[in-house]
Amino acid sequence: METIAKQTLIGKRIAKIDAPDKASGKSRYIDDLNLPGQLHAKILRSSRVHARIVRIDTSRAKALPGVHAVLTAADVPYQRPLGILAKDQMPLKGDKVRSLRDEIAAVAADTEDIAEEALRLIAVEYEDLPILSDPCKALLPGAPVVHDAHPDNVTTKWDYAQGDVAVGEAESDIVIEDTFRLHYVTHCCMGVSGIIADFDSSENLTLYSNTQVPFLHKREFAQVLQMDPARIRIIQPPIGGAFGSKLDIYPFEPICVFLAKATKRAVKLVFTREEEFIASPTRQPVILTLRSGVKKDGTLTFRTVETLHDNGAYTSWGASTPFVMMQTFSSLYRVPHCKYHTTVVYTNNPYAGSFRGYGNLQGTFAVESHMDKLAEALGMDPLEFRLKNAQDPGEVTPQGLHFKTCGLKDCLRTAARFSDYRRKQRENAAKQGKPGHLKRGVGMASMLHVGGGAKIYPSDGCGTILKIDDFAQVTVMTGASEIGQGSETVLAQLVCEELGLPMSSVKVVNNDTDITPWDVGVHASRTTFIGGNSAIGAAKKAKAKIFAAAAKVASVDANSLDLREGQIVDAATGEPYMALAKLVRSLHFSDKAELVMTTNYYEPPSQHQDKEFKGDVSAAYAWATQVIEVEVDTDTGVVRMLNVTAAHDVGRVLNRLGIEGQIEGGIVMGAGYALTEELIVDNGVVKNPAFRDYKLVTAPEIPEMDIHFIETMDGEGPQGAKGVGEAPAICVAAATANAIYNATGVRIYELPFTPEKVYRALVAARVEKAAA
Amino acid sequence: MSLQHEIRFMINGAPKRIAVPVTMSALAMIRDGLGLIGTKYGCGEGECGACTILVDGVSVNACLMFAVDCDGRVLTTVEAVASTPMGEKLRDAFVSHGAVQCGFCTPGMMVQATHMLDGSPHPSRDEIKRGIEGNLCRCTGYVKIIDAIAAAAEGSS
Amino acid sequence: MTATIEQYCTPVSVDEAATVLRGGDVTILASGTDLMPQTQAGRARFGRVLMNIRRIPELRGISIEQGAIRIGTLTTVTELMESDVIRRDLPVLVEAGDQFASDQLRNTATIGGNICNASPAGDLLVPLLILDAEVELVSMPGGTRESRQVPLREFFVGPGKTARKASELLVAVRVPRPPDGFVARFYKFGTRPALDIAAISIGIGGVLQRGVLTRVRVAFGAVAPTPVRAPKTEAALEGRPLTVDTIGAVAQVAHDEVRPISDVRASEWYRRELIHNLTKRVLDNVAAT
Repeated sequence: METIAKQTLIGKRIAKIDAPDKASGKSRYIDDLNLPGQLHAKILRSSRVHARIVRIDTSRAKALPGVHAVLTAADVPYQRPLGILAKDQMPLKGDKVRSLRDEIAAVAADTEDIAEEALRLIAVEYEDLPILSDPCKALLPGAPVVHDAHPDNVTTKWDYAQGDVAVGEAESDIVIEDTFRLHYVTHCCMGVSGIIADFDSSENLTLYSNTQVPFLHKREFAQVLQMDPARIRIIQPPIGGAFGSKLDIYPFEPICVFLAKATKRAVKLVFTREEEFIASPTRQPVILTLRSGVKKDGTLTFRTVETLHDNGAYTSWGASTPFVMMQTFSSLYRVPHCKYHTTVVYTNNPYAGSFRGYGNLQGTFAVESHMDKLAEALGMDPLEFRLKNAQDPGEVTPQGLHFKTCGLKDCLRTAARFSDYRRKQRENAAKQGKPGHLKRGVGMASMLHVGGGAKIYPSDGCGTILKIDDFAQVTVMTGASEIGQGSETVLAQLVCEELGLPMSSVKVVNNDTDITPWDVGVHASRTTFIGGNSAIGAAKKAKAKIFAAAAKVASVDANSLDLREGQIVDAATGEPYMALAKLVRSLHFSDKAELVMTTNYYEPPSQHQDKEFKGDVSAAYAWATQVIEVEVDTDTGVVRMLNVTAAHDVGRVLNRLGIEGQIEGGIVMGAGYALTEELIVDNGVVKNPAFRDYKLVTAPEIPEMDIHFIETMDGEGPQGAKGVGEAPAICVAAATANAIYNATGVRIYELPFTPEKVYRALVAARVEKAAA
Repeated sequence: MSLQHEIRFMINGAPKRIAVPVTMSALAMIRDGLGLIGTKYGCGEGECGACTILVDGVSVNACLMFAVDCDGRVLTTVEAVASTPMGEKLRDAFVSHGAVQCGFCTPGMMVQATHMLDGSPHPSRDEIKRGIEGNLCRCTGYVKIIDAIAAAAEGSS
Repeated sequence: MTATIEQYCTPVSVDEAATVLRGGDVTILASGTDLMPQTQAGRARFGRVLMNIRRIPELRGISIEQGAIRIGTLTTVTELMESDVIRRDLPVLVEAGDQFASDQLRNTATIGGNICNASPAGDLLVPLLILDAEVELVSMPGGTRESRQVPLREFFVGPGKTARKASELLVAVRVPRPPDGFVARFYKFGTRPALDIAAISIGIGGVLQRGVLTRVRVAFGAVAPTPVRAPKTEAALEGRPLTVDTIGAVAQVAHDEVRPISDVRASEWYRRELIHNLTKRVLDNVAAT
């Protein structure tokens, strides 16, 4: 008798479902979609950083053959403002421009070329206003006012406290304070931004959008466009990267809809790469002062943090990064006392959005630089110092974060061991003063991030509809979007695991708001955890239905059954009873006809934080420690990242191929933040809006990577897994800062560590030493 | 109205005759004129490699090439590359090694890798890295792309 | 973008091309790797005539003529790097080619295009300067072919500007075969092997005999409006034994001689520091030969 053994897909290397099409050039991204009769849109952006708009003359543009509409703010009196935390940005600007990217007019024409020519024919008269480009100056009396509603230029403030830092400082034997400067970088998705807006004859709107939050966007577009949300459908074509950039609505999107409305045609708007650099959100730049204390036995006592966040001209997710940053300062390692303050100020600079890691890179840079500094001041081994203050599973932090699983100590020990950290750290420190222009250094940093969603909206849940057809083919309709990170493949994998089916049996539908159930969106590394649990729940319901029916047919107990390789089997022996397809057909074509369709909405057991930002905001938390080895050329300042040893607490490895890819990609993104990437903003102007001078990491520059997974088997996570999307990028810069210090004895407090910056710091240190 | 010029060339093994504006890029001709959307616009400046195609068997950035210069030449885009023997090996390797995440850089990588392996059938990892130095990827960190190309070179997928 | 091009032509001989040039207002198309982005960005305008010179056989090929290596203007960087003649006689060009942009660009960018684009940071231009390269320009002013040679060090007159007259076609680059014992080094500063616009680049060449360099040539890129020879640095090196002291002194002369600017890539101060430190490093490397 042929029996079927239990197999598992968990931990295996599973190919991404859409990879074959993508590798063949078959996948159609937003720029590859063309609707019949569509028009092409272009936006006229401001040529001034800060100015009143006196007059806009569109008459010559309108007269150009092939132009179907030219709109300015005056043409869309029904437009409503966009914004996160503060709705302070009209899609089309009418009264004044507050930054160089500001949208003044928009054209829809037969071709892109005609649209571009039309832009050139639009005449704008400005009255220049003084430019505010230094956030430190925003609060000074007499500073230019960016928004009349905020005459002091303060967008918002954030405050958090646990314990009493005065007590903490009094208990400290060593106190250090430093100011860190974190810079502008931008997402550089390989696929540029774009959208297609199409009204049908009943004025229902379909948006082909790269959004990461389709259901939130449905509601927000409805507000901005003054439409009924029921009449908005969002379809998500494959996306050329997101990394957090597609979490809000940007002006170009409603503008495209205005044009579609005005022309009664489908309108497509796609950015140029230059436009992508100039008009996309950035990572939040931060000026951060951290004061840290420690007792002589190595116990951390307090952290006091003050930050100035440059909000740019309009408010987006960057202004909310303190929500995450306060978690880093309050809970990365055990700290009883913490006081956190952020002032967010308007300037005429580009504005910051959400970007993988979301403030945590900035915060971790400061925290982990201080951990090394404190260890050195204590004369304590930096690994031991970290271990001493690392939390254990079960701990609840003063902020209320419940670390049900916590792999921090394992991460520390693993990364240290496999990188030979201790020996190298000591040897490199001893070699600092020796001759030779190449110096090696190792640096360590850990990170803490949410790993089970983040309950910032009324719901942090995800819905799934699952159907099994007569051929035992499964369709999973999930609200969770695929942004290239492999969530679609993981969800299919989890369902296949539950239903004992091969990956080829499952199709995932995840890109049409008319079909899929609600999900809050792809952010906070939540999709595997929450989308995964939602899908598993729907699969479990289907399984229960199948077993109940099979039990009757086979006259056995439903609890004795299992699903393996498309067969319903006896769980203990593996003896097959019948094919799943046969059972489904018999359910369908009976006199009590029934289809196998189930639904499930999963809400993670996390809490909304209270007004003081206390509360267990995520269903799980994730850690990582990275040890980075660098080689510094002291004649030029060039820092080569030689290798990264990373230990990540991921709960459990689901798709080994996918998770490795996330970590490798995150490390390289972190390396770019640390070493090569900088959006140079000078007096409100982006000086390097091209890959020529905005340096992404290229293939020859990548470090060797040694990745270790710490599987803490989270009780709530799907098959024990926790979120990992953002984690690998978060502590790279911090570890690099510590490595450069180990190599050269010079600590640098601002990013990126470009050759010139490092060289200047080395020279300054030499000069200081000589003078001393 | 821009000056047009008629050109004849081979595209993916088939002859083509088309009139193009003289200032049009080969990329725009391929995507808009021929409807072959596998080749991507990434930057328009030859810095990212997303538009890599083969011209007379050699890899170039289609965004920098004038369409009129395609006259009399043999063009190959990812759509055809993916079905050559090496292209199939590469595609299978890209899929099985996890070299595709968002996939936007993938067509350019596939074409560049095909050209590279054509000239250098057994590259070292360092040579592979140099070979794709003109192809930017924001998702993968390149590791699995290098793995895939190395695997395809070895003949195993 | 509307173009003002009224005529597109693809001459098949130098004479034909020179005749077209005589008519004036002609934009030359070779690989297009500079022309396309520059015209699309509005940094350059098309003339009335767009002339594609890629179908002129005389513009291709590398040969040895009268003790000089003649490189046809349409020679791509990849062809340069794969040429047996170049690899044997002018290996510094292979070194420079290897640091040029990317494979895709090396496969199509031409040596003539690089020279005529006259970027202050042009990767091939610095080594060509230390090799005493000359350009050959052809025109047909009165119906008969005229040609003249211009030393490369006189050819660059400003950023993006050369001494080529609008009626002239650059047909080839001539490099005299280096004398015995000639060593040459090209160093481009960057964090990447290639795909970097040089913050600075250095070319040093000369006849090395018993630790002494004679017939010294030094050229720098990205520290002046054009790639330049550095006569003071050359004088400081010429005929002196390559001791630690000499090398240190030469590095200082180089530091003082260059006139870099500050831009998004690097500050003036840093460029000078790099010139100093890396000239020293290159000379250390030569001395160790």
